[in-house]
Amino acid sequence: MEADVHNTNAPVENGSLAPVDRLRHERSDSPTPGLVEGTEPGAGQDSAMFVHAQSFEDLTADDGEQEQELSEEGTDGTLETQEQESGESRDGGGESGEAQDTQAEEEQEDEEAQSSGGRDKEEDVTSEAWRRHRKHVFVLSEAGKPIYSRYGTEEALSSTMGVMMALVSFVEAEKNVIRSIHAEDYKVVFLRKSPLVLVGVSRTRQSERELTRELLYIYYQIISLLTLTQLNHIFQHKQNYDLRRLLAGSEHLTDNLLRLLDRDPGLLLSAVTCLPLPSSSRDVISSSLQAAKAKSLVFSILLAGNRLVTLVRKKDQFLHHMDLHLLFNLVGSSSSFREGEGWTPICLPKFNTAGFFHAHISYLEPASDLCLILVSTDREDFFNLSDCKRRFLERLRRRSAYQALQEALRTPSYSVSQVGIAELRHFVYKSKSSGLYTSPEIPIPYQSEEEQERLMGLYQYLHSCMHHPTRPLRSIYRCGERENLLAWVTSGFELYLCFSPLGTKEQAMAAISKLLKWIRKEEDRLFILSPQTY
Amino acid sequence: MSSHRVDAKVVMLGKESVGKTSLVERFVHHRFLVGPYQNTIGAAFVAKPVQVGDKVVTLGIWDTAGSERYEAMSRIYYRGAKAAIVCYDLTDSSSFLRVRFWVKELQNCEEHCKIYLCGTKNDLVEADRSVRQVDYHDVQDFADEIKAQLFETSSKTGANVDKLFQKVAVDFNSTAFQVLTEEKGVDLGQKKDAYFYSCCHH
Ligand SMILES: Nc1nc2c(ncn2[C@@H]2O[C@H](COP(=O)(O)OP(=O)(O)OP(=O)(O)O)[C@@H](O)[C@H]2O)c(=O)[nH]1
Ligand SMILES: [Mg+2]
Repeated sequence: MEADVHNTNAPVENGSLAPVDRLRHERSDSPTPGLVEGTEPGAGQDSAMFVHAQSFEDLTADDGEQEQELSEEGTDGTLETQEQESGESRDGGGESGEAQDTQAEEEQEDEEAQSSGGRDKEEDVTSEAWRRHRKHVFVLSEAGKPIYSRYGTEEALSSTMGVMMALVSFVEAEKNVIRSIHAEDYKVVFLRKSPLVLVGVSRTRQSERELTRELLYIYYQIISLLTLTQLNHIFQHKQNYDLRRLLAGSEHLTDNLLRLLDRDPGLLLSAVTCLPLPSSSRDVISSSLQAAKAKSLVFSILLAGNRLVTLVRKKDQFLHHMDLHLLFNLVGSSSSFREGEGWTPICLPKFNTAGFFHAHISYLEPASDLCLILVSTDREDFFNLSDCKRRFLERLRRRSAYQALQEALRTPSYSVSQVGIAELRHFVYKSKSSGLYTSPEIPIPYQSEEEQERLMGLYQYLHSCMHHPTRPLRSIYRCGERENLLAWVTSGFELYLCFSPLGTKEQAMAAISKLLKWIRKEEDRLFILSPQTY
Repeated sequence: MSSHRVDAKVVMLGKESVGKTSLVERFVHHRFLVGPYQNTIGAAFVAKPVQVGDKVVTLGIWDTAGSERYEAMSRIYYRGAKAAIVCYDLTDSSSFLRVRFWVKELQNCEEHCKIYLCGTKNDLVEADRSVRQVDYHDVQDFADEIKAQLFETSSKTGANVDKLFQKVAVDFNSTAFQVLTEEKGVDLGQKKDAYFYSCCHH
């Protein structure tokens, strides 16, 4: 179970994901919405940093045979514009419960502002409040033993989980697989990942696929702490093992990951966002990190809060954004790394589910947001990596890049008003080839926790339309009482926009090219255009 | 694992939430953090110089996570340690069972590592004697038996914390004179040379 990861295992799971050295396309100054992948604003100049999923479909493809036959996104190349009604009726064609009235659902969501926040273990699981949580997540073993519950204690829920497992087994006895149950106002989604079973019960409008993908994140979160090899080993020896023993203290990581899934567009889009920084400064930081290398180092990652400053990787080794999100979550949900230099085993499941990497995690300064993660293959290499950090800091300080970085930290985001598009409130833009996205700060009407999650819910909804398994859309425009929404997807990028309800469709369509022009102008600052390797 | 920056490797061991991190925080940063308990992930390393007479001894402290999940990893943290501070919570008798586990492990694998038993959260006991679940004299007997020293500390008030670490540094300093230090942990520089030699001797 201590088998370390060998870096010869290139994580290329899918031919199309191999980050080919792309031909250098001409970088257009005034990009058009029809840009091909690799030339869109934010596309890296050389090779990508990530094993990036080109599309949502790729992301889930390796996790379920059922995804294989899905039609490739946008192969027809035609642009469909869906008005609100037709967009929804299309969705509703599949399963019941999907095409709900927006307004009704929004009201529901308002009622339960309490759903997020701290972990209330004492919660009464027979209460109405417990039932009304927007999204429950349960993890259980195949023997039906509770492993994790988002709300309420696992003990209190053990009979519920027993019933869930009975249900799964009952269906499987007939050589079928239970995937989901659709009821009037909620969905129950099952993810079977032997030796674990994950169950989501959701009252959101997310599709079954999206919910499954969230469960997959939770599964990977558990794997990242234990490795799949160890997990299998445990349950082979003792079928009714109580896994909570080994996961003790990690519940808040899972809680926090679920919160990120509700709020962070990066997890939705399979992308990462960067700290805005002049490219000259970023290049100095990257090259300083590149110079501070060690034999066992595979990835050096500098974070500012939940934003990427830079990532340097071993040549030929690619990080999957899902693994990076797990690292973000690990760092973001624990103050443990603030006390000293952290040294922890971590499995990066999209790289290799069998072994542990060893991560040196530390903040550059005690009260700083800048966190350095050095991922190594050698668990004995702590002091060597500690020295890498020292060398990195020395270089950084000598070149005064540190000041520029501190400066940038003061404005970690930008306001949508800088873009100068009337009625535009917020947007999320993802460059597909780099796997990076940019988004302005959440504007005033959406700043409360509930409103922020509502906005995310709208993006999630758009996203699921754009990535519908059988009928993906290239664009969608919908008017609502509180905002108008537009989503636009090409082979190069994904764009989700939120306008005030006063805007018109013409304005919205015109905003696309205006926004792309702006992003092109700012791409040096907003993206990592020249990723480094060592 | 060894470092040139450090004279003595010290490892903190004990069940989760007994207060290992709080002890290190108190000693290194002279503070006690209130707020929700944050379990340590993996382990955290801090180096802290301690004045012993006219000398400075730098302690390299490994604050390990108590979670069982990391048990398989624990060897790398205590290997070559000069001192182990094995902690238990004075208000939780189950935490003392874990002490016996760690003591056995150290006796089997690190015979040169000095053991310090540390009963934590003494402030709680002082505020209300009835919450004590681990008897002082029982532990003292156990300590005598295994030739360990016993401290009862409070990271909240700071009571006995400096005294504990000071004792670790003093003991290290005096034994460092008596016994020539045992073979050090693997130095990476050395490792490279060794590898080089074995290649040449093929
Ligand atoms: N009253 C009191 N509480 C303490 C004391 N020391 C620790 N605690 C509390 O006990 C809890 C656990 O403390 P930690 O220091 O994080 O425990 P730990 O041994 O490092 O736990 P792991 O990292 O999970 O192994 C925290 O809520 C602390 O505030 C103490 O001396 N007095
Ligand atoms: Mg701790």
